[in-house]
Amino acid sequence: MSANASSGEAIADREVVITRTYDVPARLLFEAWSKPEHLMKWFGPVGWPLTLCEVDFRKGGRFRFAMTGPSGEQNQPFGGEYLEIVPNRKIVFDNAFEAPGSEKMIMTITFDEKGGKTLLTYHTLFASAVMKREYVGMGFAEGAGSGLDQLAAVVAAMKTV
Amino acid sequence: MTPASTEALDLVFAALADPTRRAILARLAAGEATVNELVAPSDLSQPPVSKHLRVLERAGLVSRGRDAQFRPVRLEAAPLAGAAQWLGDYRRFWAESLDRLDTYVKELKRKEGRRVSKRKQR
Repeated sequence: MSANASSGEAIADREVVITRTYDVPARLLFEAWSKPEHLMKWFGPVGWPLTLCEVDFRKGGRFRFAMTGPSGEQNQPFGGEYLEIVPNRKIVFDNAFEAPGSEKMIMTITFDEKGGKTLLTYHTLFASAVMKREYVGMGFAEGAGSGLDQLAAVVAAMKTV
Repeated sequence: MTPASTEALDLVFAALADPTRRAILARLAAGEATVNELVAPSDLSQPPVSKHLRVLERAGLVSRGRDAQFRPVRLEAAPLAGAAQWLGDYRRFWAESLDRLDTYVKELKRKEGRRVSKRKQR
């Protein structure tokens, strides 16, 4: 998988992997990911509901989301294209903010069901290491002070946790 | 990775809010060290360094070895990862979304269960 073939950067510097196990079968999670009426119930952090949710859930179809924060103002819409859909197993899409020069990330969500429980793996591949740092480290830059940069590097080196 | 509790995060961030303690952690990231080894590169004498270590220990960021004489200090990564997760907006975005998804799909499952048992009753 290559989001940006010209970027010679190692995949590890451009990816974020998050896993979760849910006590439900894969088809319910797949369903929750594939329909606006479900997505609007859970997508986004607390206090930032989806207020725009257009979904054409098929390979080559597009989605368009936007969230509204506590200020009541709708944030910049973002969206992309469904690149691969394997029912109850896998969803791959690209995603970018609707802003000039906005870089794309590719998200691969895999559903792995065992004994009624489902392991979900959320894999994000950013276009560049810089983009990853912007997304993953935004909080560092905003409030925490530059002294934490060093620690961010320390944490990054400890992938074992 | 489970989200850290608020109290644990408070302790971690308080511990990180000091340049000497951050320098100690950065040094320990390269490997465990004795108190003397930590004192050497700093401009501090041993008592203040020990005090900093107690703050770090309370936050769970370092642990001390059992060897009574040297008691090497070791970095503990888990609370740092918790703090990084809280700080990293992207991870926080997903952590909260995925908590909500968990609640939501459990509800879907319950509803489905109710429909099935109703059908069975008929």
